[in-house]
Amino acid sequence: MKNAPLLAVLLALPLFLNDFWLTQVATRALILGITALSLSFLATYLGVVSFAQAMMAGIAGYTIAYFGPNTVAIGWELPFWLSIPLALVLATLAGALTGLVARRSRGIYAIMITLAIGVAFFYLTRQNYSLFNGWTGFSGVRAPQVFGLNLRAPVPLYLMTLAVAVAALVLVAGFVRSPLGLTIQALRDAPGRVRALGIPALGPIVAAFAFSGFIAGAGGILNVWYNERISSFSVGLGPIIDILIICVIGGLRHPAGAFIGAIAFVLLETFAVDLIDRDRFNTLIGLVLLAIVMLAPNGLQGMAAALVARLRPRAATPKTSI
Amino acid sequence: MPVNGTQNHANALDARGIGKRFGGFWAVQDINLTVRPGERRAILGPNGAGKTSLFNVLTGDLTASAGTVRLFGQDVTREPIHKRIRRGLRRSYQHAHLFEGLTVRETLFLAVAGVQGSWAQVWPLKGSDKRLAEADRLAEVAGLTSFSERAVSELSHGQRRQLEIGIALAENPRVLLLDEPAAGLSPAERPKLSALLMALPQEVTVVLIEHDMEIALQTSESVSVLYNGRMLAEGTPDAIMQNEDVHQVYLGGGYAQ
Repeated sequence: MKNAPLLAVLLALPLFLNDFWLTQVATRALILGITALSLSFLATYLGVVSFAQAMMAGIAGYTIAYFGPNTVAIGWELPFWLSIPLALVLATLAGALTGLVARRSRGIYAIMITLAIGVAFFYLTRQNYSLFNGWTGFSGVRAPQVFGLNLRAPVPLYLMTLAVAVAALVLVAGFVRSPLGLTIQALRDAPGRVRALGIPALGPIVAAFAFSGFIAGAGGILNVWYNERISSFSVGLGPIIDILIICVIGGLRHPAGAFIGAIAFVLLETFAVDLIDRDRFNTLIGLVLLAIVMLAPNGLQGMAAALVARLRPRAATPKTSI
Repeated sequence: MPVNGTQNHANALDARGIGKRFGGFWAVQDINLTVRPGERRAILGPNGAGKTSLFNVLTGDLTASAGTVRLFGQDVTREPIHKRIRRGLRRSYQHAHLFEGLTVRETLFLAVAGVQGSWAQVWPLKGSDKRLAEADRLAEVAGLTSFSERAVSELSHGQRRQLEIGIALAENPRVLLLDEPAAGLSPAERPKLSALLMALPQEVTVVLIEHDMEIALQTSESVSVLYNGRMLAEGTPDAIMQNEDVHQVYLGGGYAQ
């Protein structure tokens, strides 16, 4: 496996990094990367940009909060081996529903309709108290103890997040090589032609959104454990746009771009306070985004690939093939 | 090839009173077209005669504004295209919209899986998958074996036309509608395509839109001529060559000589 050295470095990271770097930078970047992966999967393989990924992640996060230990006395505590699958199923269903609604939309229309869904969910969480506890949301949402291992501690949390991130990437790589994954890519290139092959378009589109909901859900679960809280702010316009920014910075040529973008995003966010005023983070990230869009439309991974291609002119570009 | 549940004595394709209207404009009107099983039929006509509109109604790409379409005796007028495909109908497109991001092999695989209805598999393909073997066979028939791992976006125009035919041949087609398969091909590439068409199994019904008279008359036993959205003449290639109306509107004076 050609990624083995990288994986070894990532596994060994807790040996070299202190808790701040491990938790605030590495773990956080991986969690954001998983959620961003759910968008880069849709954008790369179905050709649809969705603003509803924060909603899908949020559904999973709220499910964990509602059906887990929390300090707001709302919900119904289930064992984690029930609440985790439930959260993933609900996030997958939320993805499928989004796909059902947005099935005929492309480009700007898909953006508008998924943005409407995302923002509607934000207002729902803000105004509903029986399920979402309104504005304040849930706090004290703690990751479980598994076999005596406290998943809230920095190293176990990091390793668990790394395992989920790798699993998500492997899952995406396998899925896009499956007949359904190929159908989804064919829909991106020529939707009318897919129907002419005897394949109705609705099923694959809904499946693609459902799959992205599953991935976003995994990110959402980790995110609520990481923050130990979730509220309407976790699913608002800020997170919605952050996910898109991460994807654009990383680049949409390959799903791994989501993680590259997430690392860049988290580093900027963490150290913006040293470079400029903390309140100017949005200005900084906006300028970075502008530079990426203008200078490297394929994101950081595109820049890296172009650099490698320049150094090794005859290096073959990796591509998906069965 | 007998198929259960259909009437074997019926015509392969039977279109009655077909009309297709775009706003106030009838692209085709009152067209009757009957094609026997195994027949090779060419459809001729000047640009704008309604040939492709007629195809789109026959395949279900567009719904008919008037008339009925029967495939082997079954009324399919209201069926969407993906259901007609299951009945053995296939078509190629004049302007190839192909899957630019997939390889030739993946495209042909999807053509096979689409007809079979086995596209909804979520686990990765195995190299030993029978559908991949069928895709490789189609690549061979279409003359694309050495390009099967190429991305479709890297194919030449001629290779794309060959891929179109390969897609249309997936899983034993019974009625093949080919929309100008030779369009844009160089004189050197045309005989290859002609040979590909001539080599189709005899039981396959072929309806061919073609501007190239050589290919049309060489590969077809009967000809229908459309003009201004209506059927102008039908008959054997010889009869069409002698037809005065056809000369006037399409062939132009002197072609037969």
